Amino acid sequence: MDEKIAALREALYALDDQAAVGITRELIDGGLEPQRVLQEGLAEAMLEIGRRWNAGDVFLPEVVAAAEIFKRCNEIVEPALIEAGGHTLGHRVVMATVKGDLHDLGKNMVGAMMKTAGFQVHDLGKDVPTERIVEAVREMEPTIVGLSSLLTTTVPEQRVVIQALEEAGLRGRVKIMVGGAPVTEDWAAEIGADGFAPNAPEAVKVALRLAGSERPEA
Amino acid sequence: MGAEPAPRIRPVPLRMRLEPLSENAVERIHRAALEVLRRTGMHVRSERLVRALGEAGADVDADQLRVRFAPELVEEAIARAPSSYLLAGRDPACDITLDGTHSYLTLDGCASELVDLTTGERRPSTKADLEAATRMADAVPEVTIIWQPVAARDAPTRVQPLHETHAQLTNTSKHIQQMTAIDPDNARGVVEMARIVAGGEPELRERPIVSAFQCTLSPLTIDGDPLEAALVYAEAGIPCGWVSMPLSTATAPTTPAGSVVLTNAELLGAIAAVQLLAPGAPTFYGVCTSTMDLNSGSIACGWGPEENLFSLACGQLARRYHIPSELGVFGTGAKTQDWQAGAQHMLSGFTSYLAGGDMLCATGTIYAGRVFAFEQVLLDSELVDIIHALEDGMSVSDEDLAVDVIDDVGPGGHFLAHEHTLRNMRRNWLPRYFDRATWEEWEAAGRPSPRDRARERARRILDEHHPDPLPGDVEAELLRVIAAHEG
Repeated sequence: MDEKIAALREALYALDDQAAVGITRELIDGGLEPQRVLQEGLAEAMLEIGRRWNAGDVFLPEVVAAAEIFKRCNEIVEPALIEAGGHTLGHRVVMATVKGDLHDLGKNMVGAMMKTAGFQVHDLGKDVPTERIVEAVREMEPTIVGLSSLLTTTVPEQRVVIQALEEAGLRGRVKIMVGGAPVTEDWAAEIGADGFAPNAPEAVKVALRLAGSERPEA
Repeated sequence: MGAEPAPRIRPVPLRMRLEPLSENAVERIHRAALEVLRRTGMHVRSERLVRALGEAGADVDADQLRVRFAPELVEEAIARAPSSYLLAGRDPACDITLDGTHSYLTLDGCASELVDLTTGERRPSTKADLEAATRMADAVPEVTIIWQPVAARDAPTRVQPLHETHAQLTNTSKHIQQMTAIDPDNARGVVEMARIVAGGEPELRERPIVSAFQCTLSPLTIDGDPLEAALVYAEAGIPCGWVSMPLSTATAPTTPAGSVVLTNAELLGAIAAVQLLAPGAPTFYGVCTSTMDLNSGSIACGWGPEENLFSLACGQLARRYHIPSELGVFGTGAKTQDWQAGAQHMLSGFTSYLAGGDMLCATGTIYAGRVFAFEQVLLDSELVDIIHALEDGMSVSDEDLAVDVIDDVGPGGHFLAHEHTLRNMRRNWLPRYFDRATWEEWEAAGRPSPRDRARERARRILDEHHPDPLPGDVEAELLRVIAAHEG
């Protein structure tokens, strides 16, 4: 079984989604603890890809591709995991591109990079209404909420979301990160966000800091 | 995912070309230069050589040491110069064939000062500096030919060129172009040293691991010693080019075409002189024509529009004569690696490449060639890397047009993780020194400039790179040659 898990990791490094999905299904159907498939296979592979990215051996598109494969595999693992009463990955992150903004590329990159650090990422998509973000925070109880906007005209929505979380009494339970081309450190401070990052790799560092550990427990 | 090992040298294939002169304009410049050589001629400062040139058919005035060439004699003489030949490396992987298909970048020479890598201050250069600069260039694939970037000013003056040759033979296995031995005795010393390393007289002739060049003195003067040195090299089978370096407005006419006529006349005259005395000697057509600053009277310090035009025009002329060219490049008046250095170097780099220069001279100096800077070599290598990428052009295969991929992704999607991206993205150009950091990263890192990154890399190369050593007691033999010439 250890060999199969190693093969799963290799499939992620090779960005071979068919192999990765196939092995994942084989492992789960074969009765291996879903916790091990997730931790030793998928999560470990993403961490390693993050290390390779850090070393300059892997480029961002490859991280994004790996994250997409990870997502597909995780969809197989998760039901088994819940059924078995196992732990999902560590800190949860809810991400969204705010209402009125269709630009989700940056958010997708941040999401992919977050996965390489072991975060459990829930992507709500783009043009997400404020109410949906509030609802997600209430239901999923994430450690971090990430709000993205590319336009100067949609950036004010970040403030609206933070205010809505305050009104819902949820603000104290969650750290808020903001990002996007027009976003600066000053803006983040002004609207009362907890963190800001100018790009995806930096976002991971900020998220780790906000989560209170070098690496979230996985 | 891994990168291939870097090649020892990276010549740039010559596939693009820019020719601003019409065929008629080239012929007018050619005929004007022939007229200068016929009517005005050249001052050759050697009675012996003036006599010899007279015997070879030139019209000489022995009292005035003036040599005039009939147009037919020039045409006949320059036709003897080979259009293609080998510049060998001590390491055969560094071999160069000048045949018009590739452009080769040379390391600059010969600055008398350098920017100290530790202090960042300018100071006089030493033999140890020359060794370090040579060693670094040995590790930079874009540098394909090694000039003497700085002078060994702490070596005994009389044999300084031999100390410089020693410093280089021991620190690079790339082809060395000796530019500081400009008298016959030092040239003989260089030949002796090169023979020792090559393994003998016929071995050096077969694989010249050293070439050389001499300069004319503008306007229209050839000193005796450099011409004698050129003949020493010719006899040993060592290619020896000629470089003309007139200063437009001061030592050449102020008009661009007039400067090119003078440059061309000097080069045709010098090359004809050697071909008359040593027929078939491999040589090249070297151009470092520049302009005078109208306010100060000093050299205009690097590449403005005129220098770029000189390069393009002279590239066309060299091709007309079927003689390999060495065109100026990377000249700047800047005192550091700033906007001016970057702009002048990128423009001149691309222009001289488009001019079709077989050799491009040279990388590594600032302040009009007077000061060497390690960082400059590395930053210039990035510009050469860009020229490589431009030269690669744009492929339009079905894979490159990517219509299926565009359809697959569709409106509103992204191409980031598409297998087409993963398959092809490593063909994209990536900078080594250009700044692509965010403002925050830049501030956190202490606001580094490309120059800072290059300095760091230069230090690392000097710490880590070990050139191919000379075998056995070869170095001791080289030192014996120097001692013999010094005595």
